[in-house]
Amino acid sequence: MLRRYVLRRLFAAALQLLALTVAVFFLIRLLPADPVSRFVGLNASAEAYAQAERNLGLDRPLLVQLGQYLGVLPGAGPGLLQGDLGTSWVTGSPVLDEIAHTLPRTLELVTLSFVVAFLIAAPVGMLGALRPGGTADRGVFVYSLFAGSQPEFWWGLLFVYVFFFSLGWAPAPLGVLSPMTSAPEPVTGFMLIDSLLAGRPEVFVEALHHYALPVLTLVFILSGPIIKMVRQNMARALESDFVLYARCAGLPGGAIARAAFRAAMAPSMTLIGILYGFMLGGAVLVESVFSLGGLGQYAIRSILAFDYPAIQGVVLVITAVSLLVYLALDLIHAAIDPRVSYA
Amino acid sequence: MSLGGAEAAVAARSTPSRTRRRPDPLFALGVAIVAVAVLLALIGPEIAPYDPTQATLFYNEPPPPLAEWPGLLRATLAGELPQPPHWFGTDASGFDVFSRVIAAPRIDLAIALAANVLSLGVGVLLGLVAGYYTNWATALLMRASDVMQSFPVFISAMILVALAGRATGNIVLALCLLYTPIYIRLTRAEVLTQRKRGFVEAARAMGSTELRCALVHVLPNSLAPALIQSSVTIGFAILLTAGLSFVGAGVRPPTPEWGLMISTGANQIILGEWWPSVFPGIAISLTVFGFAVLGNALERRYDGN
Amino acid sequence: MTGTEPVLEARGLSVSYPGAPVLRGLNLAVRRREIVGLMGDAASGKSTAALALMGLARAPGTIDAGEVLFDGRNLLALPEAELRAIRGRDLAIVVQNPRAALNPMTRVGRQIAAVWRAHREGTGGEAAARAVEMLRRVGINDPERRASAFAHELSGGMAQRALIAMALAAEPRLLIADEPTSGLDVTIQAQVLDDLARSVAEAGTAALIVTQDLGVVANYCDRVAVLHDGVIVEDRPVADFFRAPEHPYSREVLRLQRAATGARLAPADTVTEETLVEVRGLSKAFPIRGSDKVVQAVDGADLIVRRGETLGLVGESGSGKTTVGRTLLRLEAPTAGEVRFRGEDVTAARGGALRALRRSMQIVFQDPYDSVNPRWTVERIVAEPLALHTRLSAAARRARAAELLEMVGLSPDLLGRRPRGLGSGALQRIAIARALAAEPEFLVLDEPTSVLAPTAVNGLIELLRRLQAELGLAYLFISHDLTTVKFLCHRVAVMYLGEIVELGSVRQVFERPAHPYAQSLLAAHLEPDPVQRGRPRTPLEGEIPSPVDLPTGCRLASRCPHAEPACAAARQALTPMPDGRLVRCRRVAEGEISAEEVAA
Repeated sequence: MLRRYVLRRLFAAALQLLALTVAVFFLIRLLPADPVSRFVGLNASAEAYAQAERNLGLDRPLLVQLGQYLGVLPGAGPGLLQGDLGTSWVTGSPVLDEIAHTLPRTLELVTLSFVVAFLIAAPVGMLGALRPGGTADRGVFVYSLFAGSQPEFWWGLLFVYVFFFSLGWAPAPLGVLSPMTSAPEPVTGFMLIDSLLAGRPEVFVEALHHYALPVLTLVFILSGPIIKMVRQNMARALESDFVLYARCAGLPGGAIARAAFRAAMAPSMTLIGILYGFMLGGAVLVESVFSLGGLGQYAIRSILAFDYPAIQGVVLVITAVSLLVYLALDLIHAAIDPRVSYA
Repeated sequence: MSLGGAEAAVAARSTPSRTRRRPDPLFALGVAIVAVAVLLALIGPEIAPYDPTQATLFYNEPPPPLAEWPGLLRATLAGELPQPPHWFGTDASGFDVFSRVIAAPRIDLAIALAANVLSLGVGVLLGLVAGYYTNWATALLMRASDVMQSFPVFISAMILVALAGRATGNIVLALCLLYTPIYIRLTRAEVLTQRKRGFVEAARAMGSTELRCALVHVLPNSLAPALIQSSVTIGFAILLTAGLSFVGAGVRPPTPEWGLMISTGANQIILGEWWPSVFPGIAISLTVFGFAVLGNALERRYDGN
Repeated sequence: MTGTEPVLEARGLSVSYPGAPVLRGLNLAVRRREIVGLMGDAASGKSTAALALMGLARAPGTIDAGEVLFDGRNLLALPEAELRAIRGRDLAIVVQNPRAALNPMTRVGRQIAAVWRAHREGTGGEAAARAVEMLRRVGINDPERRASAFAHELSGGMAQRALIAMALAAEPRLLIADEPTSGLDVTIQAQVLDDLARSVAEAGTAALIVTQDLGVVANYCDRVAVLHDGVIVEDRPVADFFRAPEHPYSREVLRLQRAATGARLAPADTVTEETLVEVRGLSKAFPIRGSDKVVQAVDGADLIVRRGETLGLVGESGSGKTTVGRTLLRLEAPTAGEVRFRGEDVTAARGGALRALRRSMQIVFQDPYDSVNPRWTVERIVAEPLALHTRLSAAARRARAAELLEMVGLSPDLLGRRPRGLGSGALQRIAIARALAAEPEFLVLDEPTSVLAPTAVNGLIELLRRLQAELGLAYLFISHDLTTVKFLCHRVAVMYLGEIVELGSVRQVFERPAHPYAQSLLAAHLEPDPVQRGRPRTPLEGEIPSPVDLPTGCRLASRCPHAEPACAAARQALTPMPDGRLVRCRRVAEGEISAEEVAA
């Protein structure tokens, strides 16, 4: 049952990915932007322009271009369906490589932020639910509304000003490591893991140090919706009939609290999935502020440079990660809540 | 014959619960902030002391210390000063930050409101249709909505705006494309529930056409979730516009826009010149917070019904 | 033997919600081995009282004053830790919505075991065994399997019994049951209450049953306390209460019952010869998503309603009675069969013809709150048919709406109000006024009284009778409440799993039911008359099967005490009997089983 469900979801996800990729493919080619001039300059001659267009493959009919991209044209090279995401028009490197370098950085940032945010925000939300209406609860509630509506890029800058410029606690926002430090061997791509694998704990600490501010920024933003959601679900669980009934039956308070917590966590799983997907895209701005070199920055660069293959690659990869995260969280939800069946 | 049952039933429930609503300070706060933002959108550029798009001769002037503000205000109102003070200082290009900060709501709110109204209109109508008909077209619509929602909002917006050209209209369209699926989904869910309500069936039973039922009964009762979501959506649209402008995929300079201002001021912050970025940031922070608070207060009011 | 010292005594108990007092000085005592019934209207605060007796109040309510004496100690003055020890161990409660009261994520057996372990010493294994034992004692078959089920996997009756098991697990001295059987089918209700009464008697527990149902009070309680306006207005032994109620409110509640002995309360003498509605072979199947199977809600129903007549349609969940009503009005499209109104074919009518027919056939739904558009004024609601079908001016519509409100016993002052704040009885009358606006000849009433309090039910039944006499209306009265059916209907059809199993005059079917299901249904019906108590029942075994995979032969065969192999072989046909009624049972038709005598 479980295996069939997972397979079905994966299959549906693959279809969705393909549909999205094709849609984006056409979308960006139908928009008025002109990548050719971007490379060749505005004052290029007609032949140079035509040559550049040929190089980029933009002179062929759309469907042929699509076929080439997917790798289904006979005689042409490998494409998407063979695992080749094309070559970046800006750097000339394979898009897959570039993404493989940048994606882990973003994942590291987002996952780290999520874990920290959850560890801090969830207990706060729960406390708010246990004493509803109290001053602490209202204060926390207003905070959650505030935090969830903030521009993360500005807060990042603010933190840089306060913690780097004024207090000197944080390092300069120049990347994951100081420009002077040599990076360890990229095994997984995750700086924190790689530094430990390479037996260089000082790099681990330095990376953490550099991650501190960007994680702080994201945690601040994330704490808003997480507190709100945990508090709401917990309050709902505590007011539910079965909690009242458990009190009627004289069950000990600890057992009741644990049961309420479990009932509150199940619906939260879906929202966490949505938040994670949201953060994957939202980390873009934080990455820019702190020059972390993640997928977000890569996306910005590609979009502003009209680098079509890179753009398509980014869209594909981010959506794929989001869909996987949704699937994982749905499975956790089903594991916690017996009412959910593998429908 | 005894009216006992009916009379008692009516009397028992007639307590005017309407008058007992507790005053909601959060609601008042939200309304106040939004009102200020709307006011600035309407008259901001006109009352600004300097032209927001013209550089002054003073570069990187820090704002006057807070202690001096009352004195400066008095002097300005008395007309004693040759030139209005730079309340928020000036930035690296010489623009007066204060003027630009209060001129920005016009464009931010205009974009956010336009995008929201369009998405709402289209989304609600499509949601109504999707709630009534279940055929391949609506299934496709819902699938497409799903796919669009699984994709990060910011990157989609960037792609759309950057590649379509950084005109205000394109930003509005990009936002519409992103928010319409939300309204479709919200409305459709509500329509599916409301269609089955007793009074809709009663209307059918008394000979009303399906179209009339939809327009007269179902639609008005299905609007609430979308309308409540609007307040939050407008706030997020402002954030999105600012974010886009921050990375260079939004409005073009020298249009006064909060995100753009933060972006141009970003380089200076590391040097300690905080005012070109901080003031517009405070403005955005408060404004979007105001919309979020308003939306939340509306949500709580509706839940109570 | 009822002890004289009360197990639990409440004195001057006052509970209020913000801005509204609910209980204003409640005095109530329950003695050992006694079953007390607590009656009252919907908003009277019965559930609040039940919780308050345990020292609990559902947020945002608070217990303001009074004492609850248990073992000589005032529960309300005890610290929470001691209260918790008493709750569950000495005092137990069973609440109204069983599946919501159970933890949705833990298996039922473990929950029962947890309650036991919270109050008694024992190992996990002992607790688990006790849980299974309790489930068996409350009448659940196959208790080991049920113990490992989750709450949402249990049917309503099962879940309620599991809750009773949980409550009785630690052997309490007092069991409070708050509307323990509302929402359950009549036959299941009888089973659950019998099991409850038996468990309570075996353990020597005292019990307090909170209910609106006079039948429950009459058949299971020793004493009855009536809660009205925040206080107990009457507290008497059951027989005395039913024979001679003292307080005006009690008299109001018992009005219909007490007049039952007189001839006054027969249905209106309005039946004519003219056939108004004719239904032949009506069938409706609902497809199930994602499978080939269907739910055969109605399977070949035949009935006739004459002008001025009320035909009752009774049955339990899954019987298809609601679907018949809806399909008659084309709110659902029938899968087969035809419906004729005054000879015209309703099932095939289209467009303008259907609209015209729809004026003559109206419906009143079960849920009065859901039947009206909450954003409209009462005037607009009632006048909607007028706006649709007539060309009356706004002023004329308003005048007519006022007339209609008066016809249903409401004041025209209500015209400008919104539905919010109106009681269920008033809303139901508004729904009737709206139905009358179209000037129908035939009215389908789909369980119109099931959510109403007893006093509102009385008023509504009287209203319907009066309207039938004045306007010559015909009714199809769908209900599971046999008491109201008796007051309003001339003839009645009993349905089971989509088929009509017996159809005859009310007198015939109610006094001498022929079909085994009808017999069981009537036996399970709790007559609100304590004199009838202790009547032997022949309850059907088991639960009502799912309407998805229906057997080919007699649908009752799996549960019928008179079943033979031949019954399951072929579908039974509706056969006329000598006295004019129709019965769908081979054995009855051939005289093998005789109609049991059921006292009137």
